[in-house]
Amino acid sequence: MSPILTIIVILVGLYGLATSKNIIKSVFCVTIIESGLILLFLNLGNLEGGSIPILSGLVENIVDPIPQALMITTIVIGSTITALALMLCIKIFHHFGSIEWKEVLGREE
Amino acid sequence: MIRRVSLVVMLVIIFGFFVFSILDLEAFFSTFGKDYFFENGLSETGSVNLVTGIYLDYRLFDSLFEAGLLIAAVSGVTWISQHEITEKNATFMLDRQSTPTLFVTFSRLVYPFMLMFGIYVILFGHVSPGGGFQGGAIVATAILILYYIDVQKATSIDKILTIEKILFLTIIGVGSISFFTKGTFFTNPFDLSASEQVKAIYLITLNALIGIKVALGLVAIFTAFLKEGR
Repeated sequence: MSPILTIIVILVGLYGLATSKNIIKSVFCVTIIESGLILLFLNLGNLEGGSIPILSGLVENIVDPIPQALMITTIVIGSTITALALMLCIKIFHHFGSIEWKEVLGREE
Repeated sequence: MIRRVSLVVMLVIIFGFFVFSILDLEAFFSTFGKDYFFENGLSETGSVNLVTGIYLDYRLFDSLFEAGLLIAAVSGVTWISQHEITEKNATFMLDRQSTPTLFVTFSRLVYPFMLMFGIYVILFGHVSPGGGFQGGAIVATAILILYYIDVQKATSIDKILTIEKILFLTIIGVGSISFFTKGTFFTNPFDLSASEQVKAIYLITLNALIGIKVALGLVAIFTAFLKEGR
């Protein structure tokens, strides 16, 4: 059930990416897609209830640690990519005076 | 309107494909990986926290590329945001007049504890939840509180970038030590029969290096955004 909920989050991000008129909103939609992806991977690592993958004390039936290790990577990269995109947004605003897709694309033609 | 409807139809089709493909998830879900890590992870990496064991030993290559991507993104942000005007720091956004005194006082109280907690999360990443990436983010938040305490404090992004490049090369160097002791790259250089404490030296070193690198990268990004606020 929960993987289906995560794909709904991803689809909400896709819908926003296709319909948003503001560049900053598009950047946030990419972030939403990324959050859905992270939740999906964490779900796939563990179908039924399990314990944390830290082998101290009595732990049995740990969750798969590989998706967790990969999602650390995704979170850090995602934050830096968002920073890069927002910095580009600032530069676009300084150059075109607007961050609406329509005006920016229309100005360039 | 037609575009919206066709978009929704497309998304519903994607959703249908996904639900169809996930119906037999139980069938191809394999526990081989986690069983292997449960049995051999501690003895092969010396890390109680299996996640740390994976991203610092089995998949150190991934972490190296991630560190490289971080440095590329930080370089990109600082390159895009460069100005002709050189100034010491951005004081217009965090004007002391507009920052409440309560906020400044409370920042002074909280700052050492945040720094300590971040360093704890970094150094104990191999035995408890945490690690270089998470602890580095906490340390970066603690350092950024300094902006509230002392607005005039200067931060040189160029120096931070230089230190980050050196740290990146150091991480590659530490990962490559195992080539001289074991003959393979990017694994624990100590013998597998050594005690856990000895094997943990490698993990703590790499976690600390990655933690400092992530903290400096995030501070550089935030400083670049502050200078953009004119």
